[in-house]
Amino acid sequence: MNERRTTVPGDPAQLPVLMRFLQEFWSAADLPPAQALTFELALEEVFMNVIMHGAPAGTALRIEVSLILTNSGLTMTVEDEGPEFNPLSLPPPDTTASLGERPVGGQGVFLVRQMMDAVNYQRVGVRNRLTMTKYIIRFSGDHLPA
Amino acid sequence: MNTRFETLALTTVVIPQGRLDFGAAAGFQRQVEAVLAGAGTAPAAVIIDCSALDYVSSAGLRVFLLAARAAQRAGISFALCALTPAVREVFDLSGFSRIISVHADRATAVAQAPHLHE
Repeated sequence: MNERRTTVPGDPAQLPVLMRFLQEFWSAADLPPAQALTFELALEEVFMNVIMHGAPAGTALRIEVSLILTNSGLTMTVEDEGPEFNPLSLPPPDTTASLGERPVGGQGVFLVRQMMDAVNYQRVGVRNRLTMTKYIIRFSGDHLPA
Repeated sequence: MNTRFETLALTTVVIPQGRLDFGAAAGFQRQVEAVLAGAGTAPAAVIIDCSALDYVSSAGLRVFLLAARAAQRAGISFALCALTPAVREVFDLSGFSRIISVHADRATAVAQAPHLHE
């Protein structure tokens, strides 16, 4: 089971469903629990971002999430058919701003970019596709000395 | 997410437990706003004890930022303490640990809070 895919409606109420999808993949693949939070955070931030920039009025947005595990890491892809929107075009928040001046929004994508090893956006036909990869060190029993 | 509250003289300690995600943020924001407003008398200090907080996303960061600002306006001391490693990482990466006071543990946070002697 190195690849899983699910599609949910673009509704904040689906967030727990996506978290379960991620957690089930995580346990089945026996990945290090400490690194799960990076993907949980990225999934929440990207999913909410897609909903926010959402579907044109009157249309139902569907969001597809896929997880692909390779020898070097885990890649998560989030795709939707909303209007073209590249979250990576957002300027990073000014992290040196004071408490009063710090903008309230824009933290989510910034966090994702910092926590992942690679983040890419593509417009593929009518779809927005955001791909995020993190290299994961796995301790497989096969490589341990006898 | 559950939230507990403890009152130590003029300090109110807020103890969120679990995951402060998008779904939990609005409810937690109302609870923190109610604490800052005070029941009759506003507290002199509010400490958010994060020792049981497993997860925070940008929706949670937003609540902390707005609360810190509201506290500053009201002249209430505001600090976080006892961040778990996962929450600490989000605070450090976002730069929030530079604009909101974060203490290693609750004892330090309480010691730093203003104490009024009668």
